[in-house]
Amino acid sequence: MEITREIFWNVGHWVRWPVYGLGLIVIIIFVYGLIKRIRLWRTGKPENRLDNIPRRIGSLFSFGLFHKRILKEPYPGITHLFLFWGFLVLLLGTILIFIQEDLTKLIFGKVFIQGSFYLFFSFVLDLFGLLAIIGVILLAFRRYVLKPDMLDNKPEDLIGLILIFLVLVTGFFNEGVRIAITRPDFERYSFVGWEISKLFASPQESGAPLRTLHATFWWIHLFLAFGFIGYIAYSKLLHLITSALNQFFRSFAPSGEVKPILDIENQETFGVAKLQEFTWKQLLDTDACTRCGRCQDNCPAYLSEKPLSPKKVIQDLKNHLTSQGKNLRLGEGDEEQTKPIAGNVISEDELWACTTCGACQQACPVFVEVIDKMVDLRRYLVLMESKFSPEVKLFFKNMETNYNPWAIGFATRADWAKDLDLKTVAEKGDVDYLLWVGCAGSYDERNKKVTRSLVGLLQKAGISFGILGVEEMCCGETARRMGNEYLTQILMQQNIELFNKYGIKKIITFCPHCFNTFKNEYHQFGGNYEVFHHSEFLWTLFKEGKLRWKTGVEMTAVYHDSCYLGRHNNIYDAPRNLLGSIKGTKLVEMERTREKSFCCGAGGGRMWMEETIGTRINHMRVDQAAFTNASVVATACPYCLTMLGDGIKEKGMENYMAAFDLAELLEKAL
Amino acid sequence: MSNDVWIIAEQKEGKLKKVSFELLGIGKKLTEKTGGSLSALLLGHGVENLAEELDGYGAGKIFVCDSEALKNYSNEGYTEAIVDLVKAHSPSILLGPATALGKDLFPRVAARLQTGLASDCMGLEISNAGLLLAERPIFAGKVLVDTIIPEARPQMACLRPNVLPVPEKGLEKAEIEKVAVELQPRDIKATIKEMVKTAGEKIDLTEASVIVAGGRGMASEENFKILEELASAFGEGAAIGASRSAVDSEFAPHDIQVGQTGKVVNPNLYIACGISGSIQHLAGMRTSKYIVAINKDPEAPIFQLADYGIVDDLFKIVPLLTEEVKKLKAQE
Repeated sequence: MEITREIFWNVGHWVRWPVYGLGLIVIIIFVYGLIKRIRLWRTGKPENRLDNIPRRIGSLFSFGLFHKRILKEPYPGITHLFLFWGFLVLLLGTILIFIQEDLTKLIFGKVFIQGSFYLFFSFVLDLFGLLAIIGVILLAFRRYVLKPDMLDNKPEDLIGLILIFLVLVTGFFNEGVRIAITRPDFERYSFVGWEISKLFASPQESGAPLRTLHATFWWIHLFLAFGFIGYIAYSKLLHLITSALNQFFRSFAPSGEVKPILDIENQETFGVAKLQEFTWKQLLDTDACTRCGRCQDNCPAYLSEKPLSPKKVIQDLKNHLTSQGKNLRLGEGDEEQTKPIAGNVISEDELWACTTCGACQQACPVFVEVIDKMVDLRRYLVLMESKFSPEVKLFFKNMETNYNPWAIGFATRADWAKDLDLKTVAEKGDVDYLLWVGCAGSYDERNKKVTRSLVGLLQKAGISFGILGVEEMCCGETARRMGNEYLTQILMQQNIELFNKYGIKKIITFCPHCFNTFKNEYHQFGGNYEVFHHSEFLWTLFKEGKLRWKTGVEMTAVYHDSCYLGRHNNIYDAPRNLLGSIKGTKLVEMERTREKSFCCGAGGGRMWMEETIGTRINHMRVDQAAFTNASVVATACPYCLTMLGDGIKEKGMENYMAAFDLAELLEKAL
Repeated sequence: MSNDVWIIAEQKEGKLKKVSFELLGIGKKLTEKTGGSLSALLLGHGVENLAEELDGYGAGKIFVCDSEALKNYSNEGYTEAIVDLVKAHSPSILLGPATALGKDLFPRVAARLQTGLASDCMGLEISNAGLLLAERPIFAGKVLVDTIIPEARPQMACLRPNVLPVPEKGLEKAEIEKVAVELQPRDIKATIKEMVKTAGEKIDLTEASVIVAGGRGMASEENFKILEELASAFGEGAAIGASRSAVDSEFAPHDIQVGQTGKVVNPNLYIACGISGSIQHLAGMRTSKYIVAINKDPEAPIFQLADYGIVDDLFKIVPLLTEEVKKLKAQE
């Protein structure tokens, strides 16, 4: 007996043409739906996402085919991998059959799915089909029985899961009944179909009833499969396309970089009021979102009961895009559409709750960008409507008058250094490094201690460095994230002029916010520097033997990752290595650590706003730290130090733990 | 054009604000140089008796605009009344308070009269050229500038409360002139339906001349009573404030929070009790004239800023202070 199977067996070869006709209609329905969405994305502004094509194809492989990010959550990751690969292999199998039937066999009379390849083919397809069924059942179990908070259920989720499940099951039953009738021994390799065939009657009875049953399964399978294809472009199943597109078009810019408003002097509108003011990629993001909820599961604002959930924001924008789609394409607007997004589609409380910590973006398997959208919407509120809380107003005013958040006279900025043997770059030009002190390091009593410790360490290591003294002004980081791009650019440009004037090339700073801005944002205005965070810099000095610890420090320390150092700039090891290098120090970790670290609550300008809704984020972080029984919370950021230090005091835990900057701890070991 | 100086006296619910007398004091000094006479302008409803309170501080004339329509302050109503009078009498200088009312009212009046306005002034005098020389802070108080209004008349200025002294009463009697106000309801487009007060009849923190503030060191809401006692010993113009941690711990309501995310205050005397002085708090009170800090921790950052520091238990010190202040006040 020849080892293969006859395609269109039992149902008759005549069905080929009506099936192809139907297939064509289904494909047209799918393409029509897809084009409708593409036209919606195209209403956005242009943006080049076609640079670096090889790397883009690479991310399609690692993040798409191999689920690199999806697998970070093991349960949904592995089950989705089963479903994904099951479906992919079945699709490839179907394509192979199509090639054989309509090309090689029709034209050359050649059947290649036969013999040992047929056995391999049958086995692999059955195996992956089974994996897909296991995947879909476990995913449904998670969604409807375990009900994790990150998932919300809509009819399309249920329809999608049932469709997939039924397509797979009817396929297997179709195979099983066929085997029950024909019963060739080699079909043992189609092991799932083989087992199912045993449910049906013995070969002797393989008469008309079974043949009718087979034909019934065959047609049901066909209609379900076609229904599935037709449903894709009109449901969340569209993520088959959009998620892959989003992985392809993902941003390669550092996640800490907020894009500037270029040529700001000649702009007439600022930020985003309406959908068309987003770029096409920002609109594609909304369709790429699968509502998996990992963003919200990592969002400090959401977890502290603020009204913000990144998932909800993206979904609200998507629904807005869908409902306003027709008007957008025609360039017309009804009243709904002309209302600005900020305050109408996304509430102001949601927008101001974001700490720009980037946990959502880091967790997103399909690279949806959230921070840029938040900043664009805030820019609209701040620069177009002047709508912000009194605290924010005070912050802006203080920045404008004295270039620091507290409006302490700028002439006193270098007072902390009065009794230290320190020179400004104006006094002594030929230094290797600029020590950028930052606002907190200059004015805040608590952070001044860190500055002094750092100066001590650098002097001990014999580093040639200077400060800017009273000429230094805020780097502009916070104002930018609060939407005040105009103020930001003034500060940035003034600093760049200052750096140029003194020929500064290398900058050391202990503030990750300043660090990120110099490193990732100053290039937007022509400022390119080698920037070092003190953790990296001190670790290098230690490795080179320029710094040595003379005494041990007995303590159990837990290191809290700053968002702008860790997630946004990938510096996780240097601070830990430094702490580990101190004799007697035991380093422990919190559950939310490294790229899953939990924000202190101060980023994105939140430092300067009241936190009146929900739980204080810094209190939550202090609780997480206390859970490790560490006596020292080590930080590498002035915001984190303030927030955690305050949190420890406010929770009355001063007797059990204290927050210190790395530099202070290292100075103890000198 | 006369050499007269006019001041707008501010009253709220039948009570004159202290700044009204401060304005009379400086107005009198200015007229000594300009050679004109001083007049006060009082607006409201049922405020005739207040005119007598204003009397005796040097004003030669007190205009009283009494009208039902002026019962509650309204920007439009007050503007109409003031502009009409000013146009009729053409004073050379028109002064008002840099309070919430003055800051709302004076820009509109100045625009109507097409003249210049120096807002939020700390001092007023007459230059050698006979012009009003208004001293006002810019850059968050880091620089003081002298402002003049060279051409347009009247020269308008708003005076910051609590900066200048209240003069002695007992100067010659003024002529009180009632002014008929012809205001139609349609002249006032925005009407005040109701005034909703925040808890208590406390004075506004930003206008207080003495603030007694408590921090987390107060340990409980009840303990704030000793601060209230100290504040009331100082008498009118004193208020209590709180740091953010005290508000967070629910020892005090949010509307008395002083600091970066609360109120920014500028009293003559700020007494910080059990406040360590985080920079966020200092940002809200660092411009106070005198700062007294009471804290157990000698390392507390507040001592870096304080003019006087007491390192001790506040529960011991505050009652002692209250007693001393009471004694001093009794002597006055």
